Amino acid sequence: MDEKGVQSFLIIFSLIAFLLALTLIVLFAIFQKRKNRLLREQQDAENRYREEIIETQIEIKEETLRNISWELHDNIGQLLTLSKIQLQNADNNPNSVQEASETIGQCLEELRSLSKLINPDTFSNLSLVEALQLEMERFNRMKYLKASLSFSQADFYLDNKVELIIFRMLQEFFTNTIKHSKADVLKVNVDFKDDILKIEASDNGIGFDTEINNAESGIGLMNIRNRAILIGADVELHSKEGEGTQLKLTYKKDTL
Amino acid sequence: MNIEYFFFIPLLLELLAAVIGTVTYRKYSESNEKYFLYFLWYTLLVELTGDVVGYLFSADNFWVYNGFIITSFLFYFYWYYSILKRKRFRKTIVVFTAVFLIVAAYSLVYEDGSQYHSYTFLTGASFVLVLTVFHFYNLLNSDEVLIVKYKLSFWISTALLLFYMGMIPLMFLTVYADLNDVSYLIIILSMNLILYGCYIIGFLWTKKEYNRF
Repeated sequence: MDEKGVQSFLIIFSLIAFLLALTLIVLFAIFQKRKNRLLREQQDAENRYREEIIETQIEIKEETLRNISWELHDNIGQLLTLSKIQLQNADNNPNSVQEASETIGQCLEELRSLSKLINPDTFSNLSLVEALQLEMERFNRMKYLKASLSFSQADFYLDNKVELIIFRMLQEFFTNTIKHSKADVLKVNVDFKDDILKIEASDNGIGFDTEINNAESGIGLMNIRNRAILIGADVELHSKEGEGTQLKLTYKKDTL
Repeated sequence: MNIEYFFFIPLLLELLAAVIGTVTYRKYSESNEKYFLYFLWYTLLVELTGDVVGYLFSADNFWVYNGFIITSFLFYFYWYYSILKRKRFRKTIVVFTAVFLIVAAYSLVYEDGSQYHSYTFLTGASFVLVLTVFHFYNLLNSDEVLIVKYKLSFWISTALLLFYMGMIPLMFLTVYADLNDVSYLIIILSMNLILYGCYIIGFLWTKKEYNRF
């Protein structure tokens, strides 16, 4: 090989080697950067999800405390007041001691069911349908409105966190119904088939215009929608003034 | 030792890649990457034919390689067409194929049949480079970027990108600088090592669950 040949070989070889090295470095850098970004995004999403779960848990607990306070005041408090009056009348009416004893017994019954309801162990072992059932019973007992639940299948397995979020979404809807809609009938239907969960809840209240929301129920609705996005569920809300409100929730198992 | 023997090394690398590809076939048999294995064996067959014609019969074997240049690029276009789903990419591939066929036809008619058809090669190589970039773009914009090293198609694209990134300047530069056989051989050997090295890594590393498409 003469000197000129070696020279041109070296030039060409190093040029090509340089080009390839450059390509490789650029390729590696781009892929690594993209990979890191994606990992970070996934981590963020996971954190958001976890935060939302915690927030949902807190909200459910708060709701439970509020319910206890109502039950104590409206239900057990009333019964105790009644038995107090009955005992005060005991001097005039010997039967009223017996009546007071019955009232206190009834009161104990209510206390027991309340304490069972708020025991965290019971609550976390409940399936979605059972939890909804208890909620409906409570509405009926407190005489807020006439609530009924129908379902195609009582026990289906969903991720605990997803169940929690769905429950909270429905609870938010119920709270809206009881507080604002002036409805006297609430119907809930749970249908689980082929890994697809469909829940329909409707009331016969005054309804509202879905276009213009007032601030208070607006936040509740926004919460419902945000949570639906979080677990990958589809939520439709129909309402018209004077025609009640319907909520349709569709969730496909394992979409997350 | 006659340096012509060294020209068989790329052939051996190719054989090695094809054999490893065959052994690991079941890892990617459900994806479009399987056509790549057929293509490797086809390449091997062509090179053997070229060598047999060239060395044993001492006949003109450029027609074998020129035919291979055309079919190989057509295969790459077809393969990228099958894995790139985006409409705009597919349209581009159709245009590329049409332009490439025109250039190839021109070369067949007007260029000397007793040398490599460099226009055909340069056109095809540049288009393949663009297609590898399309493929990387696709990978980068999907969640697959996390498991990319287990995807055979990623390694094939890397191999093609590096190989043609080196081959295009080589073709241009050899026009200006006269390279002797040994120099040319060293460069070609290195390029083949990169090309088949990437294929072999891909075949060995790929995992079945990531080659479904």
